[in-house]
Amino acid sequence: MINPFPNLLCFKADKVIVSRDTDFASVGLALKKEVRAIFGRNLTIREVDSGSDNAAEIELNNLATPYYDVERFGISFVASPRHADVMVITGAVTLNMESAVLKTYEAMPSPKFVVAVGDDACDGGIFKDTYAVRGGADKILPVDLKIPGNPPSPYEILQGLLFLMKEIRRINH
Amino acid sequence: MKKQKTDSENRNIAGICLSLFEDKTKKEAYLPVSEKELTDLFHQLDKKEIGLISLFGAENFNGAPGLTLFYVLEKKDSPNIVLLEHKLASGEIASLVSRFPAAGWFEREVQDGFGITFLNAFDTRRLFLHEVYPDGFHPMLKSFRNTGCFSGRESGKLPGAPYKFKRFEGEGVYEIPVGPVHAGIIEPGHFRFSVIGETVLGLEIRMFYKHRGIEKLAEGKSPADCVAVAEAISGDESMSNAAAFCMAVERISALAVPNRAWQLRTIMLELERIYSHLGDLAGMMVDVAYPVGAVNFFNLREEILRHNKNFSGSRFLKGILCPGGLKKDVPAPALTALAAYLPEFTRRFQKAVDLVYHSPSAIDRMETTGIINEKLIRPLNITGPAARASGAIIDTRVDHPYGLYPSLNIHIVTGAKGDVLSRFNVKAEEIRNSAAMIQAILPEIKDGPVRTDAVIKDGYALTMVEAARGQSVHWVYIKDGVISRYKVRTASFCNWQAIEHAVIGNIVPDFPLINKSLNLSYAGTDL
Repeated sequence: MINPFPNLLCFKADKVIVSRDTDFASVGLALKKEVRAIFGRNLTIREVDSGSDNAAEIELNNLATPYYDVERFGISFVASPRHADVMVITGAVTLNMESAVLKTYEAMPSPKFVVAVGDDACDGGIFKDTYAVRGGADKILPVDLKIPGNPPSPYEILQGLLFLMKEIRRINH
Repeated sequence: MKKQKTDSENRNIAGICLSLFEDKTKKEAYLPVSEKELTDLFHQLDKKEIGLISLFGAENFNGAPGLTLFYVLEKKDSPNIVLLEHKLASGEIASLVSRFPAAGWFEREVQDGFGITFLNAFDTRRLFLHEVYPDGFHPMLKSFRNTGCFSGRESGKLPGAPYKFKRFEGEGVYEIPVGPVHAGIIEPGHFRFSVIGETVLGLEIRMFYKHRGIEKLAEGKSPADCVAVAEAISGDESMSNAAAFCMAVERISALAVPNRAWQLRTIMLELERIYSHLGDLAGMMVDVAYPVGAVNFFNLREEILRHNKNFSGSRFLKGILCPGGLKKDVPAPALTALAAYLPEFTRRFQKAVDLVYHSPSAIDRMETTGIINEKLIRPLNITGPAARASGAIIDTRVDHPYGLYPSLNIHIVTGAKGDVLSRFNVKAEEIRNSAAMIQAILPEIKDGPVRTDAVIKDGYALTMVEAARGQSVHWVYIKDGVISRYKVRTASFCNWQAIEHAVIGNIVPDFPLINKSLNLSYAGTDL
């Protein structure tokens, strides 16, 4: 049973809500403007893990949690590559994952962009010379942006996306 | 020669093995055995008491050419570990999988790595080497030089034999293949469900899409450089794995780690458990479609990650450990900030858990879902919260104490039912206990050095830690000052096989919830 009284008696949300992270919000709002100019409504991202150590996944997941909540800036993570504008790839590309990564990329409609998140995705990181790893994401895909870090923080990832949007606008003008 | 000698002695191998478990002087005992003794031993040992927790090979061990296999045994209520050391005379050995089901993946791992044939094994399919690798490719052999990847794919067709999934047949049975690329932001793995209607009849999990060659990568590195490799095993377990690696190096070189370093290490190990479990609780709430419940756990996790950053400079506690202690001291403000935060954390966490317990819809989804039968725990070597939620009183921090843990009061939290709700309860309780443990350590911390400068000696050692997901086993063999073999077996490696059993009879939509309640690491399994 839902008790309706707490909802009736609570204060209306008429106060100005202070963002906990003003830097993050300002980057996000700038990103929202860019996204609206380029994609009309929102930017959809398909994340593919090609062999990361799972810390980068946690940070990407964090972007959607209430602390960061990037959906308010028009960024959403989608389940299918067919709905995606951007592929975010984490981790060095392992031989075992290579064909799955390529198939995911091929399933995305054009125009499409690839962002490598984390040191390993940027250039292979510490796995550069092992037998099991092809290298960074740019070994098999046209990478538009690299966001280094072990792993990069949510703030750095968002800054990276803003930079990508600005680049797309610059090239198209 | 050697084989003849051991046979003629005709010793009571089971008796010797059991006496090694009782030996108070040695925590880690090596027992050379012949093949016959190995088979005899495994038939004599009590399966309920003694478990096989790892099996691995090492080439050129102690100067002996060829491959030596190590069977790592753990006994209930004994702090000791016995490693049966068997020098292989040929490329074949009898499989133990009918005796110890956990040996299935262990043996397939050795088979892929070294090209050893296990006779009478049920399953001889390749494990971590997928179809892109040609037949006869065995990367763990010393003769294989790790110099970049070869072009497996460019020839157009895959060089290895195709992988055959298990088939479940019958009227109305159909398959649902899922992965390796999933719908959410998670790691890659393939799940092959065989389903009747909505009910799962069988599941086969195929992992190792993320095989990065970590064990081979470690070879030839100096112990100090190898810490980064240990941290990369699994990002959200980086502290546990790095600690286990450093402990092994410290034991080999007989290094005494300063007390302050161990206090700070313990705090970070427990912080890791807290943020990892918080993520699991939040994930479970997302998967039962109760986002209001998830939000609180996500917020608390973010705050812990920020404390991690203050502590170590990394949100995932990377890059602070080194053999001998810590690379750098933790700044004093980080300690005071954590001490001030924890009471508030505990209060808010309790509120968040209570919110879940007052939501019948969330409880209803978790109760009786994904039961792990207690009988599976020893045979499959299930550890960590997954085992404790099914009633097993096991915790590496208590069973094989290390670092500061002998002086801490650790309460082993167990559940009775082994379902998702039990795992939720156990993880929630462990978060509270870890927070209390940190609060107990914080006032005890005194100024002092945080590192003993490491003089690296040659040798080998096995260490174990209780990571958030369970027992993590590390064996390090240092020769000529560099790593000659580094074997890692994370809890996830064994616990994955529990999921195959836990989902049977459940409906497909409950699979994500069951998976999340265990939250195993793909990276930590695939290596």
